[in-house]
Amino acid sequence: MVAHILRLKLRLLANGFRRSPWQLVGVIVGGLYALGLVALLIVAAWFVADQGSWLTPISVLVSSVVVLGWAIIPPLLTGVDLTLEPARFVHFGIPSKKLSPGLILAGFISVPALLTVVAMLCFSVLWRLNAGAFAVALLTNLATAVMAILACQYLTIVATTLRSKRRFREISFGLLFTVLIMLGPIINLVAQAGEQAGSWIGPVTEVLSYTPFGTFGAVPGSVLEQSFASSGLVHIGLGLLYLAGLVWLLVRATSAAVIAPPPQNKAAAAKGLGFFKWLPSTPTGAVAARCLTYWFRDPRYAISVIMVPLLPVLFYFMGTQTGNFTLMFLVGPIIGVLLGFSISADISYDNTAFALHVLTGVSGRADRAGRVLAVGLISIFPILAAGILPGLLSGQSWRVVGDLGLSLAALLVGFAVSSVVSARYTYSVPLPGDNPMKTPPGNGMRVAVTQLGTFALMGLLLVPVIIPFAFGLAQHSTMLGALTLALALIYGAGLLFAGMVWGGRWFEQRQPELMQAVMLNK
Amino acid sequence: MTTVALQVSNLSKQFGAKVAVNNVSLTVPVGSMFGLVGPNGAGKTTMLSMATGLLRPDAGTALVNGVDIWADPSAAKSTLGVLADGVRQFDRLSGRQLVTYSGLLRGMAQQEVAERTEDLLRVMDLTNDADKLVVDYSAGMTKKIALATAMIHSPKLLVLDEPFEAVDPVSAANIRDILADYVAYGGTVIVSSHVMDLVQRMCTHVAVIDGGVLKASGTVDEVRAGSTLEERFVELVGGRGTGEGLSWLRTS
Repeated sequence: MVAHILRLKLRLLANGFRRSPWQLVGVIVGGLYALGLVALLIVAAWFVADQGSWLTPISVLVSSVVVLGWAIIPPLLTGVDLTLEPARFVHFGIPSKKLSPGLILAGFISVPALLTVVAMLCFSVLWRLNAGAFAVALLTNLATAVMAILACQYLTIVATTLRSKRRFREISFGLLFTVLIMLGPIINLVAQAGEQAGSWIGPVTEVLSYTPFGTFGAVPGSVLEQSFASSGLVHIGLGLLYLAGLVWLLVRATSAAVIAPPPQNKAAAAKGLGFFKWLPSTPTGAVAARCLTYWFRDPRYAISVIMVPLLPVLFYFMGTQTGNFTLMFLVGPIIGVLLGFSISADISYDNTAFALHVLTGVSGRADRAGRVLAVGLISIFPILAAGILPGLLSGQSWRVVGDLGLSLAALLVGFAVSSVVSARYTYSVPLPGDNPMKTPPGNGMRVAVTQLGTFALMGLLLVPVIIPFAFGLAQHSTMLGALTLALALIYGAGLLFAGMVWGGRWFEQRQPELMQAVMLNK
Repeated sequence: MTTVALQVSNLSKQFGAKVAVNNVSLTVPVGSMFGLVGPNGAGKTTMLSMATGLLRPDAGTALVNGVDIWADPSAAKSTLGVLADGVRQFDRLSGRQLVTYSGLLRGMAQQEVAERTEDLLRVMDLTNDADKLVVDYSAGMTKKIALATAMIHSPKLLVLDEPFEAVDPVSAANIRDILADYVAYGGTVIVSSHVMDLVQRMCTHVAVIDGGVLKASGTVDEVRAGSTLEERFVELVGGRGTGEGLSWLRTS
């Protein structure tokens, strides 16, 4: 049975490569990149090998990062290959005593898992100056890799069960995306901490060396310090205990998942009519209410606007690093364009639910206006804040009017362009209920060209507003700032109106073609 | 006052090399319960999509209550209610919100939408689930809520693609009663289905379509010509197996 499952997994791996040559190219490029990283690790380990008392902390830290990384990233990102998910074996009636070992071992047959094993073995170079420590390190590093992969498997099963609850899925994606965006500031903070490494690294690694993350990493050092018989054995014992516990948990979880698939998600509820009650009872108002509901309930929309609160934070951190806060003035125009852009794939996001708009014969203008109204209601306060606050807080109140003008212009132009583009150029997007980070395979080129074209058009249409803004900025002129604002309001509103009329006309003429496009998700 | 609810003339559609609908003409009289039957992949959904404005035909016209749906879509759609097969709903809305949305999109007044929404939820037996998100509905419940969105504006013609698929027998009987009532008061219903028995019992008229071609059309009695509709259907469409089954499937 174990052999069968391992062979199945190998076959799946091979077929995955065979599916498209580009996938193979991607794997090879990724593999080379990873091998490069491994080589870098070896070189680094080689050169710090004579650092004496630093070796144990480094070893413990690296082990901990590996285990922690495996425990967190794949389960949350669904980065693991779920083709051999235990729940898929529910219908086969294989005794779990036979199935579980096979599934657990199959978890090691994947490119990242193999790379981790290789990398950890190579990392033993850290102990090259002492043959005994080196030999021990080969074993303990292998044990660390095993620990990492087992932890990942266990947490993936747990996360799969949890993930079927929609709320959990949405929150975890939001969190993950936040972390990704904040990576820059976080790295800065870590780098700062690195400068004072001497003071915290000792106690932290001491603690880590007793946890499942770092306990194996502490063993080779004990050989070096000739305390293998005492502390070394303690760490090995602890490590084996953790491994045994993990295997036990894993066997239990796989057996449970094989017998009963994860429960179906719990029903969510929406009391009453929600936004439909607050917005006007016209087709435009209804579209706006529907879109607003989606903005709050569909993670795909949330992902597209999560940049809005994060951008100022990011720029602020960059400001504290460089002492130059000029970037804060760009927040308004950038989030204006981003918010404007966020509805450029609205019909693609609707997918075939768009049929309701076609069947009810809602007018193109009402559809366009409703979508703009929804995102407009969400955008207006952030845009006002981003346009006004930087100038006010930095004591340059003369520029506030101009900043506000440019931000509003960016928003209005963005809406105008999106209103036209979304009625004509659809492209493949994650399906409703899918992982919002997932990009559907296929027409990547079309997506890139459409998005690039949309942004370029927005930039081009913003030029008439940028000119007075730039002059106003150069001359510190509030008058020119006011001109920017007036121009933004008149020109932006005019463009928006034109965009809605034009987009609305296209929408009405191309409804069947749009239906065909969303059915194929292209 | 026209006496033809749906007049389809020479509709054709080709996808690549495959001819999905081949020159189909069909007349659906006002006040009829019209069944559209055909095997899987016969072109039923394609035909209905073209007659309801979801798919542009390569050739041919479709008049809904006398109005060409491709020449004056908004006028045609205002008297037409459609339950499309194989499309999603805006499923992050609750059932009540979805039905309300369908009414408001058609420009109906708020008060009227609110009243009719509650009525529809009641007859579809969805009142208790009205606040649940449609994404959490079962397949049958989703069908019923989609049916409600198609009926809220009291259309003159209802086009229902596979309305009884996955719907439980009690709800199906309720829906049949509603439809019969609707037809009795002058409405027209077109249903597509695989279930011959149901069509024979429920419909006044029937059309058989296979391979994109109209094989027969008329009142149920005309089409079945003495035998049962199912026998007649198999005769028209062909393709029954030779009786050589899976001998190893016999367990004893």
